[in-house]
Amino acid sequence: MFLLDASVAGKRQVARGMFVVSMRAPEIAVSVRAGQFVNLGWSPGPLLRRPFSVYRAEGDNIEVVLKAVGAGTQQLLDMQAGDHLSCLGPLGHGFDLDVGRSAVLISGGLGVAPMALAAKEAAARGMQVTWVHGARTADELCTESRGDDVLWATDDGSRGFAGTAVAAAPDADVVLACGPNRMLAAVADRWPGAQVAVETYMGCGTGVCLGCAVPLVGGGYDRACKEGPVYRAAEIDWGALPSHLHYAIA
Amino acid sequence: MKPDMSVGIGKLKLRSPVLAASGTFGYGTEVPLLERRAMGGMVSKGIFLRPRKGTAPPRIVETPSGMLNAIGLQGPGADALIREYAPQWASWDFPVLVNINGESASEYGELTARLDGVPGVAGFEINISCPNVEQGGLYFGNDPRAAAAVTDAVRKRTKLPVWVKLTPMVSDIGIIARAVESAGADALCAINTFVGMSIDLQDYKPRLSFRTGGLSGPAIRPLAVHLAHQAARAVDIPVVGIGGITRAEDALEFLVAGCSAVQVGTATFVNPNAIAEVHDGIAAFLEARGFGSLDDLPRYLPRD
Repeated sequence: MFLLDASVAGKRQVARGMFVVSMRAPEIAVSVRAGQFVNLGWSPGPLLRRPFSVYRAEGDNIEVVLKAVGAGTQQLLDMQAGDHLSCLGPLGHGFDLDVGRSAVLISGGLGVAPMALAAKEAAARGMQVTWVHGARTADELCTESRGDDVLWATDDGSRGFAGTAVAAAPDADVVLACGPNRMLAAVADRWPGAQVAVETYMGCGTGVCLGCAVPLVGGGYDRACKEGPVYRAAEIDWGALPSHLHYAIA
Repeated sequence: MKPDMSVGIGKLKLRSPVLAASGTFGYGTEVPLLERRAMGGMVSKGIFLRPRKGTAPPRIVETPSGMLNAIGLQGPGADALIREYAPQWASWDFPVLVNINGESASEYGELTARLDGVPGVAGFEINISCPNVEQGGLYFGNDPRAAAAVTDAVRKRTKLPVWVKLTPMVSDIGIIARAVESAGADALCAINTFVGMSIDLQDYKPRLSFRTGGLSGPAIRPLAVHLAHQAARAVDIPVVGIGGITRAEDALEFLVAGCSAVQVGTATFVNPNAIAEVHDGIAAFLEARGFGSLDDLPRYLPRD
């Protein structure tokens, strides 16, 4: 784990309201695994850091993907190249890709966040990669994707399959999913063994505050930031995991 | 010349006046990038005699310059603490106090007896912000008799340092401070979090599943400085200041206001190096002002 002063390297738009921000974080770029995240802070900014899955890692840079969902993320999007972020990571446990010959990656909306790295790691292992990406409408679909097959799904049918990414996805040896917790609960119904990256409110990101509790079917809670954010879908008590998070500072 | 940063809190000698606050440092085994040289000590995550599952999510919510938390004192219980964590603490070069909790005075006493004498346990910080199940759920910390009874129950079972962490949710903190001093506390910690609430306007319900939570962070600092000052004026034992400290200047406010040491909490969530930065900033301040030690720092502590 590293605590780096990371300078913003660039920003690009990848869907309506969705942006990729890149920053220079060499130690994290070489060590991060798909599904892991960084906790970003900046000054002046909100009190708590904000967690983001690492989207890509190339050379000395890492990328995160975000929408302006509150004042904090808006500040992050307003940053210019050269501005400084405090970057803590890589954090958490990522996907386990040593378990099969084919992988299907299912992402809903901002759930693309860990999938670019997952697609790259799966391809590097010689896996057949299918990426299924869903959003409400065509213009909310992330335009960047990679894989042997790319499938699109939109709620309104404006591009690709009319319906959810979960419904559009084929079976595979390994199923990885990220998106709204409601979508992940649907993944759990279809593939109990799928690996899902969950979203929770988070305090420290390092395992001490216990704020990012994930309710487990076996009883009790563990920490999205430490044991997670990737879980076997069947391990999570989906009814007890908040399904929709509101982000603005209260 | 480097100033002497050591302090004595009762019998306990600390190399630094900056400690890690309970609940913000786990059991000390997980906070990364820890610069140990700056650590005066650590107060463990609050522990009950038996394991506790904790509250349902959402457990935290950010508020202006602060955060509300309702973790529910999730923890592994005394046996796991003794087995897994205390042996590690025993080899550390700073003392670890265990933050102890209970539902009755006798449960606090039983927990103290379990932990007393365990290598690695250097003392106790009593969290009196727990509901007293035997008294209809009233908080120990709001009632001077209940607060004193808990302090007494712990005091009778250990010769180690006993600190009492006061709740700010009282009308006169001096009354509680004097009550626990009389019951044998070696020091006071002031203050615990304020009870707060935040409402989600999308579904017209509290944002925290527990409804209320403890407010911490810079938002509470001026309130905390005042309450720590009031506590310090009320007693002769040392007071450890807590509440929204993120920088050395914040810690120095507590020290000048009558505290002997400070605890850094929520700031560690944001900045894993917060304790080291606060420590180094205090040392730089003392040096710049020509103070050789913390004893030389002027205090504002008029006696009533």
